[in-house]
Amino acid sequence: MEPLIKRLIDCLIGEKLKVLRVNSGYHAKRRLANLGILPGVQIIKKKAAPFRGPVEIIVKGTSLVIGRGIAARIIVLRENSK
Amino acid sequence: MHIHKSKKKQDKKNKKVKDIINIALAGNANVGKSVIFNQLTGLSQTIGNWPGKTVEKMEGHLNSLGYRFNIVDLPGIYSLSTYSLEEIISREYIVSEEVDVIINVIDATNLERNLFFTFQLLELKVPMILAINQMDILRKRNLKLNFERLEEIFKLPVIPVVAVHGTGVYQLLEEAIELVVYHQPTSNYIQDGKKIHEQLSYNDKKVNNNLSTKEPFHFPDLSSILKYGKEVETRIYELIRNIDIHSEYFSTFNYPSRFLAIKILENDEEIEKIFKADQKTTYIINLAENYRKELEELHGEDISTIISSEIYTNIHKIIEKVVIIKARGEKKLVWAEKLDHLTTHSFWGYIILILILIGIYFFTFLIGGFFGGLIEDFFEVLSNIIYSIYGEDDLWVKIFWEGGLGGFFGGLSGVLVYVIPFFLIIEFLQDSGYLPRAAYLMDRFMHSLGVHGKTIIPMILGFGCNVPACTGCRIMETEREKKISIALTSLIPCSAVMAVVLGLVGRYVGITWVLILFAINFIVIIITGKILNKILPGQCTELIMEVHQYRIPNYSVILKQTWIRTKEFIYKALPIIIITGFLLEIFFIFRLLDPINFILSPITVYWLGLPAITGIFLIYGILRKELTLVLLALLANSMGTTLLGLLTPLQMIIFSLVSMLYIPCFATIVLIAKETNWKYALQIAGLEIGIALLIGGIINWVFFFI
Repeated sequence: MEPLIKRLIDCLIGEKLKVLRVNSGYHAKRRLANLGILPGVQIIKKKAAPFRGPVEIIVKGTSLVIGRGIAARIIVLRENSK
Repeated sequence: MHIHKSKKKQDKKNKKVKDIINIALAGNANVGKSVIFNQLTGLSQTIGNWPGKTVEKMEGHLNSLGYRFNIVDLPGIYSLSTYSLEEIISREYIVSEEVDVIINVIDATNLERNLFFTFQLLELKVPMILAINQMDILRKRNLKLNFERLEEIFKLPVIPVVAVHGTGVYQLLEEAIELVVYHQPTSNYIQDGKKIHEQLSYNDKKVNNNLSTKEPFHFPDLSSILKYGKEVETRIYELIRNIDIHSEYFSTFNYPSRFLAIKILENDEEIEKIFKADQKTTYIINLAENYRKELEELHGEDISTIISSEIYTNIHKIIEKVVIIKARGEKKLVWAEKLDHLTTHSFWGYIILILILIGIYFFTFLIGGFFGGLIEDFFEVLSNIIYSIYGEDDLWVKIFWEGGLGGFFGGLSGVLVYVIPFFLIIEFLQDSGYLPRAAYLMDRFMHSLGVHGKTIIPMILGFGCNVPACTGCRIMETEREKKISIALTSLIPCSAVMAVVLGLVGRYVGITWVLILFAINFIVIIITGKILNKILPGQCTELIMEVHQYRIPNYSVILKQTWIRTKEFIYKALPIIIITGFLLEIFFIFRLLDPINFILSPITVYWLGLPAITGIFLIYGILRKELTLVLLALLANSMGTTLLGLLTPLQMIIFSLVSMLYIPCFATIVLIAKETNWKYALQIAGLEIGIALLIGGIINWVFFFI
């Protein structure tokens, strides 16, 4: 069975997710928090760039591109299976 | 010293009464701020730099309703923390005496994130007007906003705006007068009937002005919406209490004590400097640190997460009160979605990116070449007339005509004609929303060069012309990334280099070698990036970037921006180009450069295997890269032969390669120096000369032994 809690980079395209934790460094964390990527917030993984590139998500109605290094540190919960 | 200066300004302002109103436009990126700015200020805009910083300062003014409005368009940012230089500059500027009122432009279709920034602005307690833009799109989505409620909540004017149509834009000015001159945070919804400034005659206004300056603007008490949860709030209260003990010291920095308290709690590096600067206040840093630890333990999150969550909770409460859903379901822009899908596709995305790069080349090159040709013809006709009047041997005519005016026309025909179409196409790409998609596609690759995907934006610009492209590196968040970006961008083969390579190698040797040369160039870029990534201290930051929906570009914005950027180029770069042209002509006439051929000959003749005369051409090429080819052709002409009679194919390849890589052109070097410093500009120039000579020599000697 698929795990419920995953890293953002491991999620499938189109999955509805809920942010659990952001484990990145201080600066990136503050930046993400300012942009609304906070624990409990719902996001959708919109696409992922080829060649292990960045991830695009929809948060609070807008698209945000996040580098893969940070996306790997965003821990999410799959919403639809809750 | 800074404090002293700002006090002086304050005095001056008071004396002049309030005939001048200074407005700062603030808001997230891409909310229509620049459209409003354009509508208000038209062509009066100037681009400058913030004092001592490399962030662009857009300024403009207009006279309306009996007042002069000075408007500054602040960079589009999402927060007032210290993520980028732009955020620091913005908050310092807003609290300075140079701002009377903020117009906070808010995208109605993205209220949550936009209000996050609004909430930060409110903490600065500067008179503010909320301009809610894109109301037309909101209506299309079957949503409505309750403006009455919004004004009740914010106790500040909240104005609906459709910036692209100019709706509501001038009302912002009226509200600015109300706030700044009459200190009345009112608008249609709060006060019935006419506004104060409409009821008074001009003379009354003067009287009222004098009265009003005595009574400072009372920023409304917004604690009900700004306050955080109890745990955070009690600690902030304690910090405020301690800050207020030293209010005399802190008042010189203009930040409200609550703002200082929040920021010191958030571990803000810049604000911490203020507390560190005076021994009496350093203990507050420790106090804040203790509180921070307590809170982080309590919530199990770090402080930025805690505070951001608090703010978003407050915003949520407001949104629930003011957003009215008329009907479910929103209409999506189908073409924009499809275009987005295509341009970020894992295959077609890259094809489109390449096509766009080629497109930039051709557009810049064809239009620039056409107008450049016209100007050169015109110059030649003028030259013939001048020479027929004064004779060909008059020294002064030569110096002033060939040197001074030659430099001027050279600047026009060689650079400006390329710069204008280039700006046009770039502004088009920028306004339509394409560039962030390129950054998305290239992020992974750019990481291997020590920068994130955004660098691809100035690099794309570099294909047209390196000069404005290096200026474009301002978008990078850290000094380190800016430096790497500038180095990489200055290595991008611009349209002038393209002319040399195609005109020489493409025409006489073949397309294969053209491709090989470009491949070498890109390998050099990659290696340079990798080396700089190793040398420069610090780490590569990750990409975090908002991507906006595609939109049909606003032509008036594009044209105005193109004109303003061109104007900036004319003022900044053209004088230097003319003066250098002048000097080079003097050198040329007095044959001062001839020894250079001799001095350079070990390099040019022995190491690179080129004719001695090319030494001087390469020197000229620093001014304008295509000159290397132009001068070669002229020489061949005067010798009654073609380029083939002058250079062997191998020499052509080496000559092109050296022209391609050996140094950024003079204007680029000047701009790099302005963006960073002369040391770095010269380092880049030196590095590129080294690379060019190394590879050129290797090719020469490899073929020599074969």
